[in-house]
Amino acid sequence: MSVKKDIPPPVLIKDRGALHPINHMKDSIMEQLSSFGFEIVDGPEIETEVFNFDMLNIKKSHPARQMHDTFYIENKSNLLRTHTSPVQIRGMLEKKPPLAFISGGKVFRKDDDATHLPMFHQVEGIYVDENVNFSQLKDLIYKIIYSLFGAEIELRFRPSYFPFTEPSAEVDILSKEGKWLEILGCGLVNPVVLENCNIDSNKYSGLAFGLGIERIAMLKHGVTDIREFYKSNLDFLSQFK
Amino acid sequence: MKIAYSHLVTHIKENPSIEEVSNSLFQLGHEHEVDGNIFDMEFTPNRGDCLSINGLLRDLAVFYSVELSHEIYTDKIDKLSLDFENLSESICPQIAFLKLEIEQVPKVYKDSLDKYFSDFHLNKNNFFTDVSNYLSYETGQPTHCYDAAKMSGKLLFHEIEKNVEFETLLDKKITLTGKNAVFSLNQDIINLAGIVGGKDTSCSTDTKTVIIECAFFQPEAIIGKSVKYDIQSEASHKFERSVDPECHDKVLRRFIKLVSQHTSIKEMSIISYKYKNNPVHKLPVNIQKINKIIGTNITEKKYLEYLSTLGFEIEEDLIKVPSFRSDIATQNDLAEEVARVVGYDNIPTSEISIPRNEKTNHKDFENKIRFFLLDHGFYEVINTPFVSLPAKEAIKVDNPLDSNREYLRTNITNSLIDNLLFNERRQKDSIKLFEISDVYSSGKDIKKVRNLSIIASGRLGENYKDFSKKINKKYLIKLFQKILPNEALDFKIVSRELLDTKIKNEIVALELDINSLSSEVLSYKEESQLPESYAQYSPISDLPSSFKDISYSIKDYSKTQELQDLLLNYKSDIVKNVYIFDYFINEKKEEIKIGFRFTFQSKKTTLNSAEIEFVYNDIVKKSLSINGVLIPGL
Repeated sequence: MSVKKDIPPPVLIKDRGALHPINHMKDSIMEQLSSFGFEIVDGPEIETEVFNFDMLNIKKSHPARQMHDTFYIENKSNLLRTHTSPVQIRGMLEKKPPLAFISGGKVFRKDDDATHLPMFHQVEGIYVDENVNFSQLKDLIYKIIYSLFGAEIELRFRPSYFPFTEPSAEVDILSKEGKWLEILGCGLVNPVVLENCNIDSNKYSGLAFGLGIERIAMLKHGVTDIREFYKSNLDFLSQFK
Repeated sequence: MKIAYSHLVTHIKENPSIEEVSNSLFQLGHEHEVDGNIFDMEFTPNRGDCLSINGLLRDLAVFYSVELSHEIYTDKIDKLSLDFENLSESICPQIAFLKLEIEQVPKVYKDSLDKYFSDFHLNKNNFFTDVSNYLSYETGQPTHCYDAAKMSGKLLFHEIEKNVEFETLLDKKITLTGKNAVFSLNQDIINLAGIVGGKDTSCSTDTKTVIIECAFFQPEAIIGKSVKYDIQSEASHKFERSVDPECHDKVLRRFIKLVSQHTSIKEMSIISYKYKNNPVHKLPVNIQKINKIIGTNITEKKYLEYLSTLGFEIEEDLIKVPSFRSDIATQNDLAEEVARVVGYDNIPTSEISIPRNEKTNHKDFENKIRFFLLDHGFYEVINTPFVSLPAKEAIKVDNPLDSNREYLRTNITNSLIDNLLFNERRQKDSIKLFEISDVYSSGKDIKKVRNLSIIASGRLGENYKDFSKKINKKYLIKLFQKILPNEALDFKIVSRELLDTKIKNEIVALELDINSLSSEVLSYKEESQLPESYAQYSPISDLPSSFKDISYSIKDYSKTQELQDLLLNYKSDIVKNVYIFDYFINEKKEEIKIGFRFTFQSKKTTLNSAEIEFVYNDIVKKSLSINGVLIPGL
């Protein structure tokens, strides 16, 4: 048999790693929101009750403040933030309207079962300007959802309740199986919150929204058990190259 | 909370279908599941007023002609003589007691009381408790029934702060700790206010004389107690969300009516205590503001019409908030009422234009490092910060989930060691992981550092060039010179001595403050592209895997590609992975040596050798059918 010396060696498959699917999803959403005009800001994961609750109009009696819902540290002097909203408070205290920023990161709640983890990720955004109204909020939410799930997706708005927004809404998308799935919470910033941040609520109004990253990542990737994200199993992680 | 469709629709003139009522409830913001003819409601915590048939009907009145026709006892009632003292008026600013004596305990329930128990397949307790439970369902106001025969002495409402045993009427013994609002009789606790009554004074099936307590408790005094004492309490669920402070007289008169529809009442007397007047909230009529908030063009007439049907009273230029709507305080609250009635989905959208933000992404620096690591086979992981062992300056969690998660980690490396061992136990022999995270430590002030941590061990890679090379400190130092040529990074070798493993591969780790790295990382040109579409996850198997290597000798070089095409694309339910681990041209012998590693794993069962052998033989058979391809020694 003849030897052909010009035969190329096997293709050397580059040993490439992968971003964590949650961080990848968070980054994608943040990038999309940045393109709408939002500035990215960061805040600490260890917060005070003032920033995590009081400034956000979450009353002392609110169940979320109980020891069974929130992780407190060092004799209740601080806590692990339960949402990324305190970053918005810090931003509003630092800057004057018009302002538009987003923040994303880890948040903590005292849950641990098949569908809830003690740590998960959120992306939240806020826009404060003169004459911001609910119909503009709807427009923004449509843009966000369409950018994530495509313009064919069917969505609905439902009245809801968050102490820091009024009116408040939750937004569901219709799954391929015909089931409504909650995808984000939003609303007009409660004037009490604006005033807490020294913003004149007679002149300015704002909109705010928040998305749970795990929920969206599960939908987009078809992951059914939220716990898979945090096992650091290479068989799992290598699927997201 | 479960609400029967039939219990609602009987009060609605239009007789809407269950689907119509369901849609109306969703529009109003009352999330629910429909189970047969039952709505399993999940109300938002601000709508305590909806936790009843009457409450939901008040809301549905914006869409339908609702008749709230529950009869009440309207005659004058004698004053009850009761030795009662309230030492905590701030917690309980309003309370009423009704004493009833009946001729006979009814055996059969009628009308709405009967439907309540039959439609929900509920077990009956005793007559008075059953009426109380139904009344809470109908009106939203919990009441508590004491057997009057067991109630001689001084009744006291007060807040205590001491450890004391208490046996509930559900036969559960609990130890009250911290502050608790309670009712005491002759110094014995007989009721954990707003949560659950005590066994000693509870009614029985023989009770003919009852004292019914109807109160308003401040939600702050009730919140968290049912969870704390692990008591399922419908009453506390309602008090936590606030009940109507002005409904007591009406509720107790309804109680009398329900009792009288079942048996003869021999005697009745009532007493009410109101320690302060409930504030009346009034807001100016301002339709311009409402339209500005929502972005609509609703007329004032329509606006006031909506509010009237929801129970608001219009007094010239002011809107009087009904006593049951403790959630309404601002124009934004009223705007939400209007938006609910209009329907959020019916509110038009208007184009939003947010001023452009020209700032660069401040995460560029971090992303350069992430992509550098990706390009070199590292996987990003995320770990929770909770650890069991206290490190120096570790922050302690006051209320950890368990003792294994009592502290916040002060480094990431230990988490990555756990991740590495987890993957080694799953037969992974090339592991490269990294995590970037904030790490906190205590001191005078809480200190935050954003750390990058890297860990690597095993083979350099799963290809014929890297297969026989092992990751070591020298390799990682050299690798990082590509991105940080002028920095000497302090890679450490992690000892395996204290680790639960028999694997000997060197573990190399690095942890540092990412912001301490030089800005020269910004000049790195990343090779990796992020996937354009979202990868669809395929469930992974935790069952054991095993591998088999097959080495071929090929004299006709032209057959090499055919063999690769066959084996690298070989499909089987149990072949998890295949790659070329060896490639060598022996020019002297004029042959190519090429080796393939097959990893076998099932998603269903642990594979036995016969199952693996079956697929292995098929691979061998198919590969040897290529002319000029041999397996030496076979």
